[in-house]
Amino acid sequence: MTKKKNLVMAQANSYIAKIEGHGSLKVDFKKKKVKLIVHEGERLFEGILCGRTLEEMQWITPRICGVCPIAHNLASLAAAEAALGITVTRTTGLLRRLMQIGQNTQSHVLHAVFLALPDYIGIDNITELHKADPKKFALALSLKETGDEIAMVVAGRNVHPTRSTVGGFHKVPTRGELLTLRDMIERAVPDARALAEFFAGLDYPKLDLDLEFLLQDGMRVKSSHGEDFALADYKEYIAEEVRGESTAKFGSLKGRPIMVGSLARLFFVADAANGKTDKEGSADVAALIGKINFKNPFHNNLAQAVEMFMELKDGVEVIDELLKEGVDDKLIKADKDAPLKGIGAIEAPRGGLYNEVHIRKDGTIKYANIITPTVQNLTSIEYTATALLKEHHGKSEEELSHLLEMLVRAYDPCITCSTH
Amino acid sequence: MKKLKIAIYDFTDCEGCEVKLCSIKEKLVDLVESFDIVNWRLAQDACLDGPYDAAIIEGTPVTEHEVALLKELREKSALIIALGACASIAGIPGIMNRSERKKWYDKIYGKGYKPAGIDALPLSAYIKVDHMIHGCPIDEDELVRTLEELRAGKTPCYRGYSVCFECKQAGNPCRLLNKEICFGPITQGGCKAVCVSAGSPCYGCFGYREEGNIEGLVRILRGFATPAEIRAHLTMFFNQIPEYKAAFDNALKKKVVRKVKP
Ligand code: SF4
Ligand code: SF4
Ligand code: SF4
Repeated sequence: MTKKKNLVMAQANSYIAKIEGHGSLKVDFKKKKVKLIVHEGERLFEGILCGRTLEEMQWITPRICGVCPIAHNLASLAAAEAALGITVTRTTGLLRRLMQIGQNTQSHVLHAVFLALPDYIGIDNITELHKADPKKFALALSLKETGDEIAMVVAGRNVHPTRSTVGGFHKVPTRGELLTLRDMIERAVPDARALAEFFAGLDYPKLDLDLEFLLQDGMRVKSSHGEDFALADYKEYIAEEVRGESTAKFGSLKGRPIMVGSLARLFFVADAANGKTDKEGSADVAALIGKINFKNPFHNNLAQAVEMFMELKDGVEVIDELLKEGVDDKLIKADKDAPLKGIGAIEAPRGGLYNEVHIRKDGTIKYANIITPTVQNLTSIEYTATALLKEHHGKSEEELSHLLEMLVRAYDPCITCSTH
Repeated sequence: MKKLKIAIYDFTDCEGCEVKLCSIKEKLVDLVESFDIVNWRLAQDACLDGPYDAAIIEGTPVTEHEVALLKELREKSALIIALGACASIAGIPGIMNRSERKKWYDKIYGKGYKPAGIDALPLSAYIKVDHMIHGCPIDEDELVRTLEELRAGKTPCYRGYSVCFECKQAGNPCRLLNKEICFGPITQGGCKAVCVSAGSPCYGCFGYREEGNIEGLVRILRGFATPAEIRAHLTMFFNQIPEYKAAFDNALKKKVVRKVKP
């Protein structure tokens, strides 16, 4: 009998730990080439959606990713509402923005602190932080709790929304709930700031290269290198390549590697501010953004921490607006002359997420297309990984392998999402 | 007492149940300290080989590699615990039928693509599962309860009531009276009726309740819903559970005798 392969150990040695999903790196140290391979089983969500209703779509797509389910939910709702000719109320818009803030907070804490931070402070996993730095650990937990609570109060559950529906919300939070939530967020803001400052003080591996960033901007999408296109043309610009050995597609901007997510978003904030303070005139945000090196992808982790601080500050303002204007629970119904085709886009924690849906007259889906942020980042990961090998030449293969894994984690890839 | 050696695994899925595991906060530290978590790719680099006292597995085995690994984990673990609907009932990934996969590989990846996946079935289609922590996602309190029972050396048990019980406790008006589909009556409790309380239907992700009266529920549903609507509701989570589907088919064959009058 031939000896069976030990899959437990084989997997432990090849799969990258502390990322969402299953991926491995194939490194050619001599040629300085890195290949990222995605092993997740194909999930075929675009097929799963066909034949289902739009209401079912917003229920199903969150299951693409348990780390950013709200983003998937919001993108699907936007696509569905575009297809049905629905313009939601202002309350719905504000509540959804609040959902997004909760989502970014949850996802950034989970990623930057739980998964990436151990790399920077030399521990294996987050529960060790509890011993190494109990204060920081408590801080991270309370921020996670704040993100979870926003999701719970507005979306109904911390993972996979239950309150949202096409056209608005099944249920909206009460004034009392919003007031309590506001207090909680307000208390979290200084914590988030402390965390961002802590991340600004970390030692990031050196890497210096030209990165092209991509950002959604209303009905347009723009790149840091001057590309600017209509959202409706997303498929023409964001190309997806199928590779033999990976179950995820590799995205690019017409063949060029692009980076999306926190670092990309803050690049545009910094660019707009151009030396001035940010839009709320807050110097502390500007000072933190000033510490980010937009040529170093490792700084994505710092950008996540800074963005969390900005998001929570915004959260307080969004609630103030809701309280001032009053919350209405009106559900908007489909338009008689609905176009039956719609695109929904949102900046998810990891970058621009696109949903497109076409429906039949009976309301069932006949076509669905989803492009996730990580798909767009995969090509960039390989590009910067290759640059890393060059920049850090002279280091041992073991050190380099560790740096490469850190780099992958810095991108916060969601392999689960990428193989939707 | 010796600490139990636990391995945590995830197959193809959304990892939302593991995210829930991370959101039990202080209790997580408590749990990590009271067990010996020797293997958890999402959270740590450290990884030890079996034997394990228990393997907690999230997700649906979709690729051949995953199926082989699942069988290996069975051999190496005294207990196999399914974490969440993807593992326990194939849930959302299971909506895709094996016979349809080829068509979608062609459409999504292009002709000539060599797929890694074979099918999306629950763990129990391949191995014996000792306990299931149900839900899409799981509920934190249920998770903690199960782990505590495990730690005390007990075999975890299921809730003896339905989602309806928790739904009534939450003071919700009944959807069925409103002519809206709901699987609460045939579904195991434990989720605190979180969807119904938020205005969504219950799709039954906490799994089938042994005492559930499918025939009775279908009779009520037929008062206002078409068989196609009922089947669409059923296949949200149970597309890969043949016994369950057969029970619905049988019930749907029966004539509708009366209008709904709960
Ligand atoms: S059961 Fe639901 S929440 Fe859990 S992994 Fe599967 S899809 Fe995600
Ligand atoms: S049928 Fe549904 S809505 Fe009615 S009591 Fe049961 S769970 Fe609640
Ligand atoms: S209400 Fe139903 S669908 Fe929702 S979590 Fe409970 S069992 Fe699952």
